[in-house]
Amino acid sequence: MSSVANWDAEYDRNASGPSIPRPGRSALEDEDQPMPDSRDFLGQFQPAVEPEAPETPLEQLTRHWMNERHAPDILPAQDVLLSSLLDHIRRQSETIQLLRGDPSTSEEEHIRIMLAQTEVERVKFIVRSYVRTRLFKIENYARYIIANEQVQTRITTAERDYASRHAHLIDRHFYSSVLQSLPESQAGLDDIPNFIMPPMVTEPDTTRAVFAHALKKILSPERQKAEAWTSPKAVLHCCHLPLLQTW
Amino acid sequence: MSETRQYGELGTQLVMESRRSTQTDTLLKYNDSLVRSIIREQRDLEKAAVALVLASADALTPPPALMIIQTAIARNKRCLLAYHNHRISFLCTLYWSLGASLPPLLSAESTSIRAKLSPHEVDYLRSYHASVMTFRSEFSQELDITASIVQPPKDLHVLVHVVRDCGVIQTESGSIDFRMGRRFMVRRSDIEHLIVQGYLEEV
Repeated sequence: MSSVANWDAEYDRNASGPSIPRPGRSALEDEDQPMPDSRDFLGQFQPAVEPEAPETPLEQLTRHWMNERHAPDILPAQDVLLSSLLDHIRRQSETIQLLRGDPSTSEEEHIRIMLAQTEVERVKFIVRSYVRTRLFKIENYARYIIANEQVQTRITTAERDYASRHAHLIDRHFYSSVLQSLPESQAGLDDIPNFIMPPMVTEPDTTRAVFAHALKKILSPERQKAEAWTSPKAVLHCCHLPLLQTW
Repeated sequence: MSETRQYGELGTQLVMESRRSTQTDTLLKYNDSLVRSIIREQRDLEKAAVALVLASADALTPPPALMIIQTAIARNKRCLLAYHNHRISFLCTLYWSLGASLPPLLSAESTSIRAKLSPHEVDYLRSYHASVMTFRSEFSQELDITASIVQPPKDLHVLVHVVRDCGVIQTESGSIDFRMGRRFMVRRSDIEHLIVQGYLEEV
């Protein structure tokens, strides 16, 4: 828990660091002073306990990660959040390296360093899982993505490149192992599906039911039951995805 | 037994093979002969369809036999594609579970996976690997997106037992010579890929 707090406090400090240089908090002096002392981070962490406090970047990422893992369709990329977290991971790792090499680091500080390191590894895990979840969806829907401009706005350039590479790869594999040996009239990949065949291009199933909890109070559309969605996190709703997409 | 077969019977056999592979979670050998005979069936069906079209060129409605043949063609083709798609998605899952590395999949001695692949599938895996590596290089050195995402890390260090020699590895605490039978306490992120590939075992 304390390392989580550390992480967030450190993040706030680094995020606001370059723009508002605070006295005694310059990057150089930061290295002498290994971790924010407990009073310091407690002071900064306090607001997060209150329900109205804005989410920390890590909480945001965790939320996006959960959403991405449960949504059938690919969600908008969080590249700004992700790159700021990656920067933060790099800065933390550098500081850790520096402190570990410093012979004057005390035993107690070594334990703190270990906590910070563990936390870095755990954040990396979430980032990795988030990126891989998206990659998995991109592989599955590669052809759908490259044919659909609207989806392309939701993914990063690297992901778009990957999607087109992957679609091309699959096409080539199908062509070389099956289609090139078939008679010419059958060698196309994009047949118009006849009778009961499903279409050739796999699309995300957006009619699936999902679980959701409301972040703020909203009124459901009139045609739905006239019940208000309330904010407590304990209340889970199971509903049709298209209903949620309007919000 | 009998020479006569129903349309699409071979296609069903092929799909059954995919299903068996899913149920047993093993990759069966690429069934080249079955794929070839389905392709032959497709060519025969095509000839029959063309003959029917020519015979009924002046009819107002297409003959019912043509519809049956066309359905058989479409079904066979879908079976072929489904079979190949199932295999490459199985291979990709395997590839990721081995920590996104090709050698354990394609090396001739260690496993018998390579013997089960068609040449096209080997090509596919190579290009797929290249594509994944390009995507990985988009991220900084800090984050290896191909590392395991099965277990969230609970501990920084891990006690490992060396199962197979894997030579000298650079770790955080200097280079370590991993010889068979020894035990080391090392940082998990340094040797995670060796655990995944079966060189080391957690104690």
